[in-house]
Amino acid sequence: MTKSLGFLLGTMALMIFGGCAGSERGVAFRVALLTPGPITDQSWNSAAYAGLMRIKDSLGAQVSHIQTKTPAEFDENFRQYGASGYSLVFGHGFEFQEAAARVSPEYPNTIYVTTGGISMGKNLASMSFSFDEPSFLAGMIAASVSKSDIVGCLGGTELPPVKASFLAFRAGVHAVKPRATVITAFIGNWDDAAAGKEQALAQIGRGVDVIFQNADAAGLGVFQAARDSKSVYVVGSNSNQNEVAPRVTLGSVVIDLPHAFITVAREVKAKTFQARVIQFNTRSAVVRWVPNPATASLLSARAISMVDSVRATMLAGHFSLPAGR
Amino acid sequence: MSATSAFAEAVVRVATPLAYAALGELVVERAGIINIGLEGSIIAGAYGALVFAGHGGAIFGVAGALLAGILLATLFAVFVLVLRADQIITGTAISMLALGTTGALYQTMYGSVGAALTTPTFAPMVIPGLSSLPVVGRALFAQPVMTYPLYLLFPILAWWLYRTADGLALRAVGEKPSAAAAAGISVSRVQWLALLFGGAMGGLSGATLVLAQAGTFLEGMSAGRGFIAIAIVALGRWTPLGVAGAVLLFGAAGALQFLAQAMAWPIPYSISLATPYVFTLVVLAVARGRAVAPVALGAHRE
Repeated sequence: MTKSLGFLLGTMALMIFGGCAGSERGVAFRVALLTPGPITDQSWNSAAYAGLMRIKDSLGAQVSHIQTKTPAEFDENFRQYGASGYSLVFGHGFEFQEAAARVSPEYPNTIYVTTGGISMGKNLASMSFSFDEPSFLAGMIAASVSKSDIVGCLGGTELPPVKASFLAFRAGVHAVKPRATVITAFIGNWDDAAAGKEQALAQIGRGVDVIFQNADAAGLGVFQAARDSKSVYVVGSNSNQNEVAPRVTLGSVVIDLPHAFITVAREVKAKTFQARVIQFNTRSAVVRWVPNPATASLLSARAISMVDSVRATMLAGHFSLPAGR
Repeated sequence: MSATSAFAEAVVRVATPLAYAALGELVVERAGIINIGLEGSIIAGAYGALVFAGHGGAIFGVAGALLAGILLATLFAVFVLVLRADQIITGTAISMLALGTTGALYQTMYGSVGAALTTPTFAPMVIPGLSSLPVVGRALFAQPVMTYPLYLLFPILAWWLYRTADGLALRAVGEKPSAAAAAGISVSRVQWLALLFGGAMGGLSGATLVLAQAGTFLEGMSAGRGFIAIAIVALGRWTPLGVAGAVLLFGAAGALQFLAQAMAWPIPYSISLATPYVFTLVVLAVARGRAVAPVALGAHRE
């Protein structure tokens, strides 16, 4: 609320002083970010905010951030930023695509970029992450560490990128242990940490001993469930979550969002930006598997060498997911 | 640990934060007020629990949650009882205010990209003997200490509401405030106390989320429990035992959907997520015709 209010006041000020600002068009490089959840989630949204801050520090941009509460706010906020003459607006998530596609034609001087997705238009682009590659590696690790041969995936809602990541994880598990069971569950939202914990406990009750979580803030409940249980481990996602619960985290499937954000912002600032689907993969080092040194002793030498050889094929660009079962 | 026992434990865990919130709202509604700001008391309670527990441990956290919940209820009471503002509008505004303010405070006090805060938590407290009962033993008596006061609060409230003069006064205020006033009951005093009690219970609901479950604070972690609690009060027909039953029903429906996903039952997850709400509709439909809402509930008084 306070942020929206601040934004409203800012917009009003802009409308009042719009005359002066108009003559200086192009002087200030302004970048905005819409996140679907709180930037304190240690995950998807935290990393995006860190990206925005890097754009501010490295490129001297004026930045603005709004946490959207409902999809109805996507259009409205995209419009406000377009109307106030922002150069670049990030909609941080697959779910922002439709709103960006609707609003972008109205504000041709603003470039709209969604994180995730495949949308493209005159001033509309999306960043696509090969999240499946490190997810596959995480699956191999999870299978190697699991003693029960039952591992779980726990997501917020069933967004296509999350689903794709879970499928890759499952393929990674089966690459090491073809008979292992992979259970997938969704919490239904991205905020309810108590529900995240409860869903994790339900999986643990079923025999799951490694959980790959991709539920942002709600996912922090998964770490808590692992802390409370004996020998249950978590794989983090989006940000490097190894520090969230060092004793129970095997590693994190990381998207280096600050790197991706600044790559795009540089192009926009230099006016060399071409609207496209911007691909980030293991080779660009934007998506990667980050093992947690604190739990490295759980991995056998064989598991480590297996993961390393698969990663080498990814770096060489020769990796493709095995056909799903 | 058998599957049934694990399920029963999950039922009680899911039900606990809802039980506090619904218990408080029950008293508030029996005084003729509907406090939609309950969600605000819960999130404020969760934040209060985080801040205080960080300074003095989990017990101190409970105190912080109580204070924060009461603070929000006081705000609601000032607007509704003193300034005579509309209850629904005030409640909605207070919920939104609390969700926004706790988020902003959290970012201010703990940094915008936040440290992964873990608060001191209550470990499950196993009660010897009782916890060995079959099926429900561990579910009821191997819970964090936050759960146990509820076993006393519900029966005490049932007795107080129907067997004491003060309980009668509360009900009279909710049914016919003018008659209560004529009988010498201070309507506004009763409503003030009911609201403060409701706020305290909302705070404890938030404390449960932080200190007994998630072990951390997150923006918006109340996740609509205040609104669910209001539905539970109606489902429980505004009686303590009815509300206790409705809370357990909701707990069961919630635990069932966790179980359904963990067991990989072939149900789309969006359907299993809807089970608590489908349960509500079914029960409301079956139990229809015996609605006993306090007559003066939500009435605007000059």
